[in-house]
Amino acid sequence: MNPAPLNQLLRHPDNRCTDLNEWLASHGGNGLDMALSAPASLIPSIKASGLRGLGGSGFPAYRKWALIAAQANGGERYLICNGNEDEPGTFKDRLLLEESPHQVIEGALITALATGINHIIFYINPHLKHAIETLTSALTQWQQSHYPQQIEQALGTTLALKIAASPGHYIAGEETAAIEAVEGNFPFPRGKPPYPAVAGVNGRPTLINNIETLANVPHIIRNGAEWFQQLGNNDCSGTKIYCVSGDVVAPGAYELPMGTTLETLLLHYAGGVANNGKLKAVFTGGPSNSIVTATSLGIALDFDTMKQHRSALGTGAMIVIAEGNPIIPPVSKYLAFFAKASCGQCPPCTSGTYEMAQLTKKIVAGNGRQHDLDQLTRLSEILPRSGRCHLIDGAVTVLKSSLLHFHAEFQQAVIK
Amino acid sequence: MASGIPYQQALLEYRVNTSRPQRYPQLSLSADECASLLQAHHPDYAADSREILKVGINRHDPCHPKLAALLQSAPQIDHRVLENAPLTETEVLVIGSGGAGCSAALVAAQHGANVLLATKLRLGDSNTVMAEGGIQASIEPGDTPQRHFDETLRAGHFSSNKRLVEQMVLDGPDVVHWLIQQGMQFDLDEQGNLATRRAGGTSKDRVLYYRDYTGLEMMRVLREAVRNTSAIKVAEHSPVVELLSNGDGHCSGALLYSIEQQQYTVVKANSVILASGGMGRLHLNGFPTSNHLGATGDGLVLAYRLGARVQALDSFQYHPTGFAWPRTLAGTLITEGVRSAGTWLINNRGERFIDELAPRDVVAAAIIRECDEGRGVALETGRQGVWLDTPAVELRTPGILSRRFPKLIALCDNAGVDPEQSPLLICPTLHYQNGGVVISESGETTVPGLYCAGEVSGGIHGKNRIMGNALLEIISFGRRAGAAAAACHPPGNGELSVAHLERFRHEIEKSGLDTNATAPLLFPPYAGFERRPA
Repeated sequence: MNPAPLNQLLRHPDNRCTDLNEWLASHGGNGLDMALSAPASLIPSIKASGLRGLGGSGFPAYRKWALIAAQANGGERYLICNGNEDEPGTFKDRLLLEESPHQVIEGALITALATGINHIIFYINPHLKHAIETLTSALTQWQQSHYPQQIEQALGTTLALKIAASPGHYIAGEETAAIEAVEGNFPFPRGKPPYPAVAGVNGRPTLINNIETLANVPHIIRNGAEWFQQLGNNDCSGTKIYCVSGDVVAPGAYELPMGTTLETLLLHYAGGVANNGKLKAVFTGGPSNSIVTATSLGIALDFDTMKQHRSALGTGAMIVIAEGNPIIPPVSKYLAFFAKASCGQCPPCTSGTYEMAQLTKKIVAGNGRQHDLDQLTRLSEILPRSGRCHLIDGAVTVLKSSLLHFHAEFQQAVIK
Repeated sequence: MASGIPYQQALLEYRVNTSRPQRYPQLSLSADECASLLQAHHPDYAADSREILKVGINRHDPCHPKLAALLQSAPQIDHRVLENAPLTETEVLVIGSGGAGCSAALVAAQHGANVLLATKLRLGDSNTVMAEGGIQASIEPGDTPQRHFDETLRAGHFSSNKRLVEQMVLDGPDVVHWLIQQGMQFDLDEQGNLATRRAGGTSKDRVLYYRDYTGLEMMRVLREAVRNTSAIKVAEHSPVVELLSNGDGHCSGALLYSIEQQQYTVVKANSVILASGGMGRLHLNGFPTSNHLGATGDGLVLAYRLGARVQALDSFQYHPTGFAWPRTLAGTLITEGVRSAGTWLINNRGERFIDELAPRDVVAAAIIRECDEGRGVALETGRQGVWLDTPAVELRTPGILSRRFPKLIALCDNAGVDPEQSPLLICPTLHYQNGGVVISESGETTVPGLYCAGEVSGGIHGKNRIMGNALLEIISFGRRAGAAAAACHPPGNGELSVAHLERFRHEIEKSGLDTNATAPLLFPPYAGFERRPA
């Protein structure tokens, strides 16, 4: 595979563009102009492009769009642009909002045209202060342009645009929790169904798309679905921003064609594995998925291939551990993250994440015993599906897969 | 209710101290004093907590008004739905997939029946998974089922059905044996025997447990066993919206609604086991609840409409210490262990007002008394609570909270409160429905072909339940109902009918009640759930 030049597709060529005129002068706005002239063609184009939810789900974007568009006419419809980004090792939404906010806004406007949405809410993690500043200034520029009026004419209703700080909790990124937060409540995840497309914010149809998903929309419309499809791997079209961190020479965000192999990402872009150059493991996408080990260097980093390998691409975060570095400390750190993020609503999750975090912490400190390890194994068996959202499942997955791949290391770490 | 001191002000006025004055000369109450306290302040006895049913087999009986409104609501469907919805057949239909539903399904299948297990949420989503305490069974030397029987009756103020309690306590050891056969783990003592501990209000170590996850571990094995039993089909996200009869008054099926497909299905069955759980999410008298999202009393409503007798629907268990603040933790319980460790309950004047280890209903009533009489701490929402004096116990025994209740500390830390520095505002929390559908020893209701097991049924716990008896009950009567339902065959070959709905609707009209109010309620209003009309 001949990888496309870095950061050329998704982000603006100048890498940083926060001025609307500059954005419009370099083909920005073309997608929106085309959308205004033929709004009915948008959903078919997105369908043909194969764009999928880049927040981690990989769910075909057009399906959610079509559900909204199919709702009976009239009334309020909401788009939540999900920038709650809070997972360890994930920083792509922040990058997009800070470096190329117009691309995200244009994507959201096109989405609204395609689906008849008249409320756009940029739902951003309050910790991303700089991102919120650049987005706020960018949005003001759009509001002063001729576009809102044109869009309102096309929609036949007023268009409301606003930036709302999310609560910043990890769970607040979950779709139904985001709806609760937008309604002013604590972000407790709701049960699904009803799906947000049917009854979301204020009981109205609501579309929730990740920032990266939306950022892809303008150039899909501008360059065509076929162009986008050719960039990816089978059913996983386009590009992905991979966030590489941990034991690599050059950590950072790399936008590459979807399905780039782990080896290419690490060796050609991230400068190789730090220390001795040997890979031990990668925590992928969140880190709430099964870890990937050195035997899987050839794995294509896309939704479907990762799933076949019983892992998941998730947000595209790749936290790298070099051979020789211990696995238990990062596992313990992530479990502590989940324990902190557990909202308190489902007792088994609250209790279970806490206990897994404590037991691994004890083992890291050198005080772990065999029965602690046995208990960890037991917890990984009884806890799955014990919460209303997937937080507990993610926490168990990272533990279970590290126990599977590095059982000997856990064994050695406990006092006999 | 008198208004208490606002939360922020009360927090400013709070001073930690190693001793506290007592509001009353005696904190431990005699039986008579308990009775009059309950009478005056327990939510069950409040004037607005009871009304007389006007419709159905229990007319003239008392019921909580919120539940009565649902019991006496009009059905949401009529006979047309039977003509339009696709039909599926099974031998035994089980409704609900907590511990009672799963054990019933397993035993019915073991007795040769084909089973459809329909559940409102996912398989195993239930209150069972939240049960941390354990399961009662008299297995220790020196303990007997007789003692277990006596203590269950006494805790329930002698209002239980003795026959049912007898069956349950006799089942105890075998239930544990069965659960172990299913693969369930229990904590063991140093000799490798099953470990036991003592529940409040009992005299023997009789509670078996698996760490803090007894219900979750139970559900894990039951869920796996259900998945591995080919005779059981599972329909998730498929609440029942009506029970059906065969025209002869025999329950012979139900109407299910698939939330995913937004479609109705008629299920024809030889018998139906209702294991749909409780009704905490009705938030009786505005109380927060520890119950899971699906606990809306829908099973009770459907059974009542079909003519099943119910009992004690004016009796509920309120756990005395649930979080009142932070609001995000409303409904989360603070274990009795915190009070056992010497933590006091104090009113807004810093006075202790009750023996913190008195029975749950008495402690709850005492807390409400303080609030009723202006000695509570008020939130903007109007809800009141009292302080759980955690800083004082910490001052008396430094480090006790983090040593003995690390999970509580972590939970509070996540929510932004520090119990070592500030007292926790707590209030009684709706926990359990004591009454329910009347059943026989085999779980059969007064409607032939309809069986009940678990919290939806009544008669076992009287007016107050002791810890650990709920997990025993669900398996004991789940298995009984499963065996009996598998052997049940409807007489004749009557057509499925909703004639009982027409009769019930007519009765509502005749009694002058509002016919526009409809039930069942499948989810609380704040869940944002809307069902497609039939």
